[in-house]
Amino acid sequence: MPRLSLEGVSKRYGATVALRRGDLDLVPGEVHVLMGSNGSGKSTLSKIIAGSVNPDGGLIKYDGSAVTIPSPQAARDLGIAVFYQELSLAAHRSVVENICLSRLGKSRGVFRNRAEMAAMAEPFIAPFQSVLGDGFGLDVPVGRLRADQRQLVEIIKTLAANPDILIFDEPTSALDRAQVDCFMAVLRELKANGKSIIFISHRMDEIFEVGDRVTIIRDGETVSTSALADTTMEAILRTMTGEEASAAATADTAVARVQSKGGPAKLKVANLVAPGVDNVSFDLAAGEIVGFGGLHGQGQSAVLRAIFGVSQFRSGDIEVGTAKLRGKSPRAAIHDGLAYVSGDRARDGVIEGRSILENTVPIYALRKRLFITSPRTLGEKAKAALEKLQTKYQSLAHPINSLSGGNQQKVIVSRWLMAPPQVMLLDDPSKGIDIASKTELFRVLRELASEGMAILLYSSEDAELLEHSDRVLVFNNGRIVRELRGDERTRYHLYQAAYEAA
Amino acid sequence: MTLPMQTSFTQRSIFERFPFIPALGILAVLLILNGLAEPNSLSFRAITGLTKTYLALMFLAVAQSFVVFSSDIDLSVGAILSLVNVSVVVMIDQLGGGPAAVLFACFAGILVGVLCGIFNGIVVVALRLQPIVATFATGILFTGIALWVLPVAGMPVPQSFWRTYGGRILDIPFVFYVVALLGLLIWLAVRTRFIIQLMAVGDNRLAAYQSGLPVTRIRIMAFAICGLFSAVAALCIIGDTASGDPVVGNAMTLYSVAAVVLGGTALSGGSGSMLGSAIGALIIGLINSFVFFVGVSSEWQNFAQGIAVLLALMAGVLVTRRISK
Repeated sequence: MPRLSLEGVSKRYGATVALRRGDLDLVPGEVHVLMGSNGSGKSTLSKIIAGSVNPDGGLIKYDGSAVTIPSPQAARDLGIAVFYQELSLAAHRSVVENICLSRLGKSRGVFRNRAEMAAMAEPFIAPFQSVLGDGFGLDVPVGRLRADQRQLVEIIKTLAANPDILIFDEPTSALDRAQVDCFMAVLRELKANGKSIIFISHRMDEIFEVGDRVTIIRDGETVSTSALADTTMEAILRTMTGEEASAAATADTAVARVQSKGGPAKLKVANLVAPGVDNVSFDLAAGEIVGFGGLHGQGQSAVLRAIFGVSQFRSGDIEVGTAKLRGKSPRAAIHDGLAYVSGDRARDGVIEGRSILENTVPIYALRKRLFITSPRTLGEKAKAALEKLQTKYQSLAHPINSLSGGNQQKVIVSRWLMAPPQVMLLDDPSKGIDIASKTELFRVLRELASEGMAILLYSSEDAELLEHSDRVLVFNNGRIVRELRGDERTRYHLYQAAYEAA
Repeated sequence: MTLPMQTSFTQRSIFERFPFIPALGILAVLLILNGLAEPNSLSFRAITGLTKTYLALMFLAVAQSFVVFSSDIDLSVGAILSLVNVSVVVMIDQLGGGPAAVLFACFAGILVGVLCGIFNGIVVVALRLQPIVATFATGILFTGIALWVLPVAGMPVPQSFWRTYGGRILDIPFVFYVVALLGLLIWLAVRTRFIIQLMAVGDNRLAAYQSGLPVTRIRIMAFAICGLFSAVAALCIIGDTASGDPVVGNAMTLYSVAAVVLGGTALSGGSGSMLGSAIGALIIGLINSFVFFVGVSSEWQNFAQGIAVLLALMAGVLVTRRISK
């Protein structure tokens, strides 16, 4: 009998279905790998088991009886512990306090007992003893540790809950080889002790090294569960993407693709290092749209934000046109001819509550160093830019909030077109906008490219990315691992590269 | 085993362990300045008087610390203080003013404070309102109730009450016993499991939730404890002023926030020191007395106080920044 089984579990957010039909059964003593492309629903499925997302339908059985998992606390009580990719640590608390945090409420006594906590934590730290590195200690505040050490603390914290079911979501992304080996040994021991482990990783070698069975999710549905010993990398990728290895790029691509004219480089990035970015180098030619692909959060956005100067710390050389990028702030980047459009309009785009005119002109005003101007002269220029994207609005004086998401995004793009940049950085620009606006947006982008603009595009939708990019740079763990050109631009190759399976 | 078991001294810097050290430095500087301006201000009598006056603010600052630790804020602490103040005074009066009545009223007053805190907690946490606005509103509400309980300032408390507060036991002023009690409470509080959970919630609320901590309950608890300490502050005010006043505490709210920050606690939550907050309250007291002793004319006293508090805050922030580098 499986320890945990999910039958037809579903979750929707408004109109979008995150998980249509999730099935999973987990037996004692196995490492169960969960795989799926971006947005397939694998993280929704694991969040449902973790108790942080409540399903709309379906059945969850634990040891044969139906249960609900309304909160992470409830999950803990059932014996489920989760390693969170974004870590669940308190930066100011010490290592030992973080490790024991979830058990503090359970144990008796009002007062903390450092010796008791240390005694509790030590057996779980011991396996990692040789790879903890300098500066690690039970009383060191977690915020002072290196990224790999913090990830180890999160791993140890998960283990210290003494669960029967462990969910590891990308637990090795910051670890070096020796640390990964230690972790793999720990996984094997857990398995031998009859624990059940759900394992999500973007590294095919790790998956085959430690996994027993693999469940593949595609478009919100569980499509297969099989033993890893009986399957191959190719078969997994085929099932995951629903594509053959040889399949060419989607034939019905309506947009006539302009082959890279090999024009002058508009953007040169060399050895870029920033938070979440590990030594990235690439060139971008005039007239090119280059896509950033891979699994979500592998550094695609981080590169765009680092180039634009949003992240405070970065090193490496960036050249726009023929000149070096001077400053490290968005302001300097704008003056040097960069543009940044984000899918997170509320955070990075829209000026809430202000008029459409005010939302269209700020970049123009900045680049032209406008001091005094009149709405009439500005309005004419703004109208022309908005016209280009066929933005639908009543008047320039209406607040931007009166527009739909798609039209808001068109306003944001128009903002940049009033004083055309050399390079556009698009960070998932079509997120949450309607199909018609999307089509319009990408038509204009292609037009801009053919006029000589260079465009970097990250999209969380693989199909969109593959369709609209001239070539795709696949990211894995902050690095570019592969470049897909021509017929290689398929979901199959994208995921092959994303899982480092090449 | 050779586990990393070195003592905490090598693993955490002294300032990480005692975040109130910069505040202590500022306190020392202010004591010296006061001594230079008016040597008598450092006499035992004067220090006793200062403590008597600012003991309430010390309790209020410690109260505020609890909610600030969990990354909330309570702008109703002053109003809670006022409400408890008038409730206790009126209760003593209604019950005849005997020793039993005084004791009963004190306990009932503390209960009122705790209930106010729980109410704040429910409004902020369960209804998910912004703490800064929600507690601003509940503060007005509490003031409203206080004005209904006792519309105008007045109604003296029995002699026994303020005689005790201002008196001596075994030749040591009563207020110093209270300070010692506050110290003990802080000493105990920082050693509880609860404070680790509270700090974890303030540090990263989502992470704490995902770690299985009962975040809602912990935050409401913080507000309740805040109410409790505010109520104790109210008892100190009664001891000091010997009467009821329905708006006595309202001006103290933001002083309590300033004291928390002066004490080295970040308003973003997750770290800080209750002892620091108590020291912060004393810093404010010393600033006020310094401005008085220097002989600033009355119309410029606010101005001078503002400048001094600003300087103290800057000194604290600069020192902390230098250390954390």
